[in-house]
Amino acid sequence: MSIEVRGIGKHFGNFTALDNVSLDFPTGELVALLGPSGCGKTTLLRIIAGLETAESGSVLFHGEDATEREARERKVGFVFQHYALFRHMTVFENIAFGLRVKPRRERPGEKGIRDKVTSLLKLVQLDWLAERYPSQLSGGQRQRIALARALAVEPKVLLLDEPFGALDAKVRKELRRWLRRLHDEIHVTSIFVTHDQEEALEVADRVVLMNQGRVEQIGTPEEVYEHPATPFVYGFLGSVNLFHGRAHDGVMHFGNLALDAPEHGGAENALAVAYTRPHEIEVGRFAPGDPGILARLKRALIVGPSARLELEREDGAGMIEAEIPSELHRRLALREGDTLLVRPRRTKVFLNAA
Amino acid sequence: MSFALRTRHSVLPGFGLALGFTVLYLSLIVLIPLSAAFIRTAGMSWEAFWRTVTAPRVLASFELSFGAAFIAALINAFFGLIVAWVLVRYRFAGKKLIDALVDLPFALPTAVAGIALTAVYSSKGWIGQYLEPNGVKVAFTPLGVVVALTFIGLPFVVRTVQPVLADLGRELEEAASVLGATRRQTFVRVILPAILPALITGFALAFARGVGEYGSVIFIAGNMPMKSEIAPLLIVTKLEQYDYAGATAIAVVMLVASFLLLFALNLLQWWARRRGGQDS
Repeated sequence: MSIEVRGIGKHFGNFTALDNVSLDFPTGELVALLGPSGCGKTTLLRIIAGLETAESGSVLFHGEDATEREARERKVGFVFQHYALFRHMTVFENIAFGLRVKPRRERPGEKGIRDKVTSLLKLVQLDWLAERYPSQLSGGQRQRIALARALAVEPKVLLLDEPFGALDAKVRKELRRWLRRLHDEIHVTSIFVTHDQEEALEVADRVVLMNQGRVEQIGTPEEVYEHPATPFVYGFLGSVNLFHGRAHDGVMHFGNLALDAPEHGGAENALAVAYTRPHEIEVGRFAPGDPGILARLKRALIVGPSARLELEREDGAGMIEAEIPSELHRRLALREGDTLLVRPRRTKVFLNAA
Repeated sequence: MSFALRTRHSVLPGFGLALGFTVLYLSLIVLIPLSAAFIRTAGMSWEAFWRTVTAPRVLASFELSFGAAFIAALINAFFGLIVAWVLVRYRFAGKKLIDALVDLPFALPTAVAGIALTAVYSSKGWIGQYLEPNGVKVAFTPLGVVVALTFIGLPFVVRTVQPVLADLGRELEEAASVLGATRRQTFVRVILPAILPALITGFALAFARGVGEYGSVIFIAGNMPMKSEIAPLLIVTKLEQYDYAGATAIAVVMLVASFLLLFALNLLQWWARRRGGQDS
């Protein structure tokens, strides 16, 4: 089932949580709502679920207006960050809950419930835990049970609110791969909220980047990472170096460097910032006449195949972070305190907002 | 390495000292005074004891004391839950004031409460003047005893249920409603089982308080033998007649009965907690 939201607005007091947000979630996709805390992503998810009401705009399920429907009539599956399992019920009863509260004519018989719960427990690979209580499970197990419980009512939409936020790093990685595989198996339209860019890029078919109640960019993980549409997206999706300079006639100047910026062909001596990721920076020994920025190596951190360099610009304009192959680091025989020449290999230029 | 050696290095220090203090303290404050009642009673012969505690007037007072306390605790469990619910769930003007009002029955001298209640419910009182023509007599009847005990017991239920309810969190209810549960189903299947242990504790405290209550009841009860005379009053009456053995005999029966009932309630609570999976 597809979901659309049209012109959603929501305030909490003076704070604008959502500012006229419109989005499409096509059938069968796994979409990540990504952004810093307070960007409105969770509020949007809760409005789609019917747990929160929007001040303006509408929510459409499969083209039908569902704005006025109560949460329990929307037939969505919702997974909470802190699991929200019923403590006084066994794992089995937790999963069976959605079936047991159905009106009598829709409710499956005891055997139907047992079969359904057993198959869901197999799906989340925890069938040996049926008689345990939630307090006897680990965090990762609890979240899988919460997911099975949400799936028991066969929702047409699955909404996950920071589902791995309360788990430790290793379990989080395992679970997100598992979620991806599960989605490929059952293909239910899913939206999950996260503030972890790695998680969003790894798991989702598409990523929606949000900031301050607005959508900044929508695209596949590759698109948003390789071609960030705004400075915010660039900064949020990973570490970044900023070079301040001026753009004139399609060329960006800073230091003794000139970079092509054809998208700003009309700019006339405008203040601009060039964004470059650490791995897009070239580092070399200083040679007279070579273009580049002079920087002193403050610290080198070698982790596996790559070396992270912290460089301080000689002109006092701050630090540069570069990532080069360890092998190159060894070949250049770099030492802390060396003066090096730094050059961005690839940049994205944004004009300063006036 | 032996197990005994390892347990000596517990992370929680002072187990021996703390337990010793606990036993000593309970002995001084609770057990020794209580055992005095048993020792006093032991001076009576078994027949005399039996005759004293099965006298019709004594039996009637037991029935009233335990019965009224039970009914009052039930009423408090129901309405106290509603008060706690309102105080936890909603934000409104004057909430702090109502929150403070709940504790008033704790602080008020019980005699004052009794006199006030009698004034309100007597045939000329604010409420009594409307009830009496309709055939409902409160003051100087067993009903009056229930009213007084309800007043006294209210804070126990509110104060035990309130923190548990506050701790419950909205997420559980949201989860239930997204799964398709109606409000009623959410309450019966999700909220009630979670707060049941606290509710039972509150009920037990209100009940225990009601059984032992003296000051507020004697004013409103009218104290008619066989009808509206509570057991604690009977004890005082016997003391005034220098019948110490008779008084302690009644006290012993009340003690044993109270202990058994509270023990049963504790078992019930333990069962509810276990069922709630909150044990581990």
